[in-house]
Amino acid sequence: MSTLQELQGRKGRIITDKDAREISRVEELSYDLKISEVMTSSVKTVSPEMLMSAVLEILRVNRISGVPVLENGNLAGILSIEDLVRCMEKNELHLPVSAYMSHNIVSVNAYDSVVKAIETFSKERKGRLPVIDETGKLVGIITKGDITRGILNALQRDYHEEELRRYRASHLFEDITSDRTSLILRYNIKARDYLNGGQASSHIKRALLRLGANPQLARQCGIAIYEAEMNLIIHTTSGGIIRVQIEPHRILMQTTDDGPGIADVEKALTPGWSTATQEVRDMGFGAGMGLVNIQRCVDKMTLESTPGKGTKLLMEIILRPEERFKEIDDPETLP
Amino acid sequence: MNLQEIINQLDLAVLTHAKAFSSIYPTGGYASDLLSCVIAGAKPGNLWLTIQAHANIVAVASLNELAAIIITENASPDSTVIEKANEQGVTLLVSRENTYQLAGKLWEMGIR
Amino acid sequence: MNVQKLVELVNGEVLNPQVALSHELKGGCGADLMSDVLASVKPDAVLLTGLCNVQVVRTAQMADVRAIVFVRGKQPTADTITLATQEGIPLISSPFGMFELCGRLYQAGLRSLEEPVSS
Repeated sequence: MSTLQELQGRKGRIITDKDAREISRVEELSYDLKISEVMTSSVKTVSPEMLMSAVLEILRVNRISGVPVLENGNLAGILSIEDLVRCMEKNELHLPVSAYMSHNIVSVNAYDSVVKAIETFSKERKGRLPVIDETGKLVGIITKGDITRGILNALQRDYHEEELRRYRASHLFEDITSDRTSLILRYNIKARDYLNGGQASSHIKRALLRLGANPQLARQCGIAIYEAEMNLIIHTTSGGIIRVQIEPHRILMQTTDDGPGIADVEKALTPGWSTATQEVRDMGFGAGMGLVNIQRCVDKMTLESTPGKGTKLLMEIILRPEERFKEIDDPETLP
Repeated sequence: MNLQEIINQLDLAVLTHAKAFSSIYPTGGYASDLLSCVIAGAKPGNLWLTIQAHANIVAVASLNELAAIIITENASPDSTVIEKANEQGVTLLVSRENTYQLAGKLWEMGIR
Repeated sequence: MNVQKLVELVNGEVLNPQVALSHELKGGCGADLMSDVLASVKPDAVLLTGLCNVQVVRTAQMADVRAIVFVRGKQPTADTITLATQEGIPLISSPFGMFELCGRLYQAGLRSLEEPVSS
């Protein structure tokens, strides 16, 4: 078929595996796609009585290269641009369509696959083919351009679906082989940056969802890291750093800062206890529940602090088997 | 509806000295955890619903002459807060429910 | 009830009409303190709040809140509205106070969507 020939025919070109895959996909598609899916269904038609000058207008305005001729609703013939050129050469635009139309109608069926149209195009040297349905009624028109467009669109849909599939992959580390795989996200947080507060946490939550974490897990991590981020913004002298380490079996989150440090860690962990100023409270913070919330969302939490030096908060979530990002050599998945 | 009836119906805990609750008729309800909003908006005789349980709430209730503070979600003010409330004659009540539910029930009971 | 119905019940003004109002709400939560929202709100709630800063939207995102109603006709800042629109969260301003809002919605059948905080 012509499309295949076009792909194979380039002189001196080696067909690679990728090419071969694409060629066979094109071939596959020409069998899969139906003529009805690629044809143009709003067809301009003319009648045998119409004048050739009128047809000239129709072809020009609609930028088409041919029209079917309908007589009493039935397909009576085809008028092409080639016919029109012959007519113009003879200066006979005042004549009706019937004088120039071709009665030799080659048509294809809407329910046939595109490959049939391709075969017909190569057999009959025609530029366009009228498409008829089971009853013989004209339902559309197909050109080689329609076929190419149809196949390209289908290929594009393929790629798009493949991309989506990869993004939705619930197995982040599926194609990555290593002795230990981890993805590390780092964020710098500025003190008193209330306007941007929460942005890092939002990015982290989104990243987890993108990587295939279930909504509940992403929510838990999001809440914990948000409280930690806000603590850096509200309570530190010069901000701090968030570090999230995502591994197949666990997620480690850590915030570090260099001041002012927590005087009484025990007290800090008490629900309701807060060192926030009234100003901060009026912003809706300072309820003293931040660390408590974090504890509720994670499996392990440790808070280390030296007044005058800084604070380090470590949070860890151990992923349950159904939450895990699967590794290719995960013993759980081996037969 | 008087305060005693409300306390009974909603099963509220009374943290401060008893008063003649049955002769206190709240003028309405106000729910907010932002003190500046309460100071600006709560009317005298209102019932104030909040989850805040620290000492500042007493001053606000006193300032606005509120009927009582209902602390929600079983939050527990510490002894200094209760002491301060007693000194200033502010009634502290506690509910196990959250603000949304409590306000809903009070509204249905006719407190506006 | 969905967000559209909620807007009607609270005499609300939608501050970012580009966002869809079709989401179904599973319950309500009234809070001014962010940690409360994070501590207990279950997904798909409407958050009623007097807080107008951008953090409310961040909190809503973290807690999977589907709509935010600001009490007493409060209007949040422009960047709050921008962020909410980006995240697809409808912002509604209601003339009612928190007490009245909770009251009306509760009466209309929207229940509380908070997990009881274990004391």
